[in-house]
Amino acid sequence: MEMFLMSMGAIALALVLMYNYLIGKKNQVDNIFASVDAVLKQRYDLLPNLVATVKEYMTHERETLEKITELRAKALQGGLDAPAKMALDSQLSQALGGLMVAVENYPNLKANENFLHLQHTLNELEEQIAAARRAYNQSVTDYNNAIEMFPTNIMAGFMHLTRRPLIAITTSERRSVDVDHLFKK
Amino acid sequence: MAKLASLMDYYYESMYPELKILEEHRLHILSKLKKSALILGLLFGGICWIVIDTSFMEATHAVAASAMSGGMMFLLFYRNEKRGYTSLFKDNVIEKIITFIDPTLRYQKEAFVSESEYRYSNLLPQTYDRFHGSDLVEGHREGVAVRFSSLHVEEKRHTKENKDEWHTLFQGLFFVADFHKHFKGRTYLFPDVAERSLGGIGTWLQGWHREHGKLIKLDHTTFEKQFVVYGDDTVEAHYILNHAFMERIVSFYEKERKNLFIGFVDGKMYLAMEVSQTLFEPNLTQSVLTFTHIKSYFERLEMVFGIVEAFKLNQTLWSKYK
Repeated sequence: MEMFLMSMGAIALALVLMYNYLIGKKNQVDNIFASVDAVLKQRYDLLPNLVATVKEYMTHERETLEKITELRAKALQGGLDAPAKMALDSQLSQALGGLMVAVENYPNLKANENFLHLQHTLNELEEQIAAARRAYNQSVTDYNNAIEMFPTNIMAGFMHLTRRPLIAITTSERRSVDVDHLFKK
Repeated sequence: MAKLASLMDYYYESMYPELKILEEHRLHILSKLKKSALILGLLFGGICWIVIDTSFMEATHAVAASAMSGGMMFLLFYRNEKRGYTSLFKDNVIEKIITFIDPTLRYQKEAFVSESEYRYSNLLPQTYDRFHGSDLVEGHREGVAVRFSSLHVEEKRHTKENKDEWHTLFQGLFFVADFHKHFKGRTYLFPDVAERSLGGIGTWLQGWHREHGKLIKLDHTTFEKQFVVYGDDTVEAHYILNHAFMERIVSFYEKERKNLFIGFVDGKMYLAMEVSQTLFEPNLTQSVLTFTHIKSYFERLEMVFGIVEAFKLNQTLWSKYK
């Protein structure tokens, strides 16, 4: 009888530990996603100012600027799930990248102090976003491993935990931003 | 960067006349040490002979006691002479090389990174009983404020024989520099000894260590094999340790092959590198009139200053200009 009780106690303890472990992993993913969200929000807040500054100079980039404004509006509408947010963010990053390349054709804009400040703030934010995405992917990998590995996969099945998708990180995001190079422009 | 060729010119033009005097002093000390060794040998040899002759003590005990007493006296004499020479060497060699590298740098041979700063970094949190160091260098390198010195941190341990022994907790270079990114929390990286020696169990054990925050996994395989990272904020740790920065740390580590402890605290980077002796300890048996000998100290200094370039700490973010 004693042996039976001890075995039951050990099993109950293992179940509690596994449950808490999985909840910990799940919450970690959510917490880090909240950080990704917060830094994306900082970038969205910067965009109206950026668009207002560059539109006077970049007369031939109206389409790109409109796209950036549209993507920002969509992102701030709310009600988007994580993959949708990430997809929007990816499109926005591409549009901003294109805009920064186009800046090369506008020497007056490149000399504008306000624009330079915005450009470098955006640069810092891009690096923070890249870091948040990497941290998110790491936490998702830990979580996915936990729900697929034995014996935690059994408990994960009971808890209806499912795999979470990773955020695609481009090669350019893996590289650090060369601020020095930007200053030399 | 000061080039080796111009160092040679500087060596012959500005350092050589004083080094000749230092070399004479070194040879004089060596001669004194040889004489003292001879005198002490004769003195304690004589005492030993008398003790054995008068049967005051057993022969083996008498030889051991004489050798020990003579050795200790010689050691005291050697230390005293070495201290004086070290001081002169640092004035004539180290200070001159530092001036050559950058005349705006300040060098204080007897000062060191403050204990409060060492403790504030929490890089090496063990309690200690003795904290000392030397060779404080302060100034700017590539526009980055840097400060470094040799440190020797020890704790007193009681042996089974009820004796006190000094045990080294850290000896080596302690380097502090302004970091080029904004951050609020604390991030630390240490040599990954546990995972290297114990594998998965080591990683599991590392998870229980909470002295420096939570265990943070990073997405760089080589870096992860060599270092373990702890911090308050996972995202911030990824922000500080981006891929390029992790690669720079790995390259620096692979070049130097010394244990590295790095902390990012309050806008600064604290780096401790284990070195078995003080940074600029002179060698009494080596002539200061050989350029290669002087060059080795220059290279050591360049390695330390090279941390700024190696880690690209000079790439200041825009907002840090304000």
